[in-house]
Amino acid sequence: MEPIGIFILAMLCQVYSCAANVSDSVERMQYASVAGDEYLQEERLETNLDDKVYFDFDKSTLDAEDKNLLEQYLPEIKKAKIVRLEGHCDERGTREYNLALGERRALEVRDFLIVKGVSGKKIRVVSFGEEKPLKSASNEKAWAENRRVEISLY
Amino acid sequence: MIRFLFVALILVSNSIFSILEIEILKGSDNLSKIAFVPFGVDDGIEESYGRQISRNIEKNMLLFGEFENLPKSEMLSYPSSGNDFYYRDWKVLGVDYSVIGKVNSVNSLGNLNISYSLFNINRRIKLLEGEIVGSEDNIEGISKIISNRIYEEITGLKGIFDTKLAYVINSDADTYQMCISDIDGKNEQILFSSKAPIMSPDWSPDRKKMAYVSFENGLAEIFIQDLQSGERNSIQALGMTNSAPVWSPDGKSLALVVSFSGNPDIFLYSINSKRLIRLTNHYGIDTEPSWSPDSKKIIFTSDRSGSPQLYEINTQSKRKKRLTRDGNYNARGRYFPDGKSIFFVHGNNGNFQIATKKLSSRYIETLTSTSLDESPTISPNGNIIIYATKDGSNGYLGGITLDGKSRFSLPVKNGSVREPAWSPLLN
Repeated sequence: MEPIGIFILAMLCQVYSCAANVSDSVERMQYASVAGDEYLQEERLETNLDDKVYFDFDKSTLDAEDKNLLEQYLPEIKKAKIVRLEGHCDERGTREYNLALGERRALEVRDFLIVKGVSGKKIRVVSFGEEKPLKSASNEKAWAENRRVEISLY
Repeated sequence: MIRFLFVALILVSNSIFSILEIEILKGSDNLSKIAFVPFGVDDGIEESYGRQISRNIEKNMLLFGEFENLPKSEMLSYPSSGNDFYYRDWKVLGVDYSVIGKVNSVNSLGNLNISYSLFNINRRIKLLEGEIVGSEDNIEGISKIISNRIYEEITGLKGIFDTKLAYVINSDADTYQMCISDIDGKNEQILFSSKAPIMSPDWSPDRKKMAYVSFENGLAEIFIQDLQSGERNSIQALGMTNSAPVWSPDGKSLALVVSFSGNPDIFLYSINSKRLIRLTNHYGIDTEPSWSPDSKKIIFTSDRSGSPQLYEINTQSKRKKRLTRDGNYNARGRYFPDGKSIFFVHGNNGNFQIATKKLSSRYIETLTSTSLDESPTISPNGNIIIYATKDGSNGYLGGITLDGKSRFSLPVKNGSVREPAWSPLLN
């Protein structure tokens, strides 16, 4: 009796852990499809174009100049396997609001690219809010450079 | 949905890092003066114990610049019990309160028995008399308990000398550390170290866990870390961005922000069932939730009106109310412990400052005068706000007492410090 009991217990454990693994990987996949890090396995593509678009304070709208820049970038974007859009803000205002604002900026670029025929499936969006400024100074020039979406192709 | 789990070492840094120390910038001219008389000792007890305890109490009471002290050299006598205490000796020196005491006995277990008294010199009465037994290894802890009682007696507010502060240190471009220390800057511990940003620390009400956001996996994720074991769990709410976690007053759930396909809304997350309940549903940005002390309402920031403003939502009826209308930037609101007022970041002519507002009034009062102030956190007794600000390219913490008596700063020795979070009181 005893060995059988242990055997059944072991079987149950295995089934249980198996089930846990399955749901785990499903979650992981869904997660990766929005902002995963699989691009890390790919090599970053070299490009001659400026890979940043800039925004006004507390705004996430693209102006004509930004759109023009993105249009120039389109042929290369379309060739890439993965397009990573990283949204950033300047240091003014609150950190958590800026995290959401950075996401808004990256999504604005994503939506523009989708309208221009880039497949949404290969776009990865991430926001760092005000956590990763390019310039640490506290002046208009530094703030303007920090309010950006960085585009990288893989 | 809590997936992987690993144990992080909690490192105690003795001298490596920052160690915040409070520097008083501006005291009022009209502070109460307290004489901290060196405690006497019974025969056979090391005299230094008595001096240590009164010095610790003095340091605690002066920590936030709320009082001034009478230098020991000016004292006319060193009474250690009521029998040799004379009001006129203190009245003549302009003292408002005197603290005296005695280390009475040490038993074989190394326990000290400490008696202490607090006198109001102007009213000529003994306000407080107490006794405490504790180990000689824990003189700091004993001193904090006595300090809390004295503070409470004088101010009518809870003493906060055994509270802690959490904060994030960014020592160079790629090093971020989630730290906690005693409120006086001692016993700094690094809870978690990362090459990616860390933000939004929030203490569980029992002080045993910390919720925070870490970018270690390339995007914002919420982690809960057990402070005793160091064990960390990530909450994966299946959104693009998970952020701004805050514990409910009963510690059973978190209010947090989940952005499904790029639309951040406020959710409640149950720690036990891991279920998410949606609280807001709007195409604008909804973020920075925080609970009212009675846990019936949640304050949050939303740009639904076109600029970030504060709103509150009833967690049961889901009814919403706009709280701020003046200025084009009012964000990251928190309730005062009495639930009657809020404090937040107020943008005005390009300056971002810490402000307060009574819920019953429209008037916004600005507390700070620097221009890049954020992340305000309040002492559990509702009397002091610590916030993050910036000088040149370095972040430091500033503080202000709400009675206007004192302003202070907590400069970090290396790098930038930000995201202060004041712990609750020990229960």
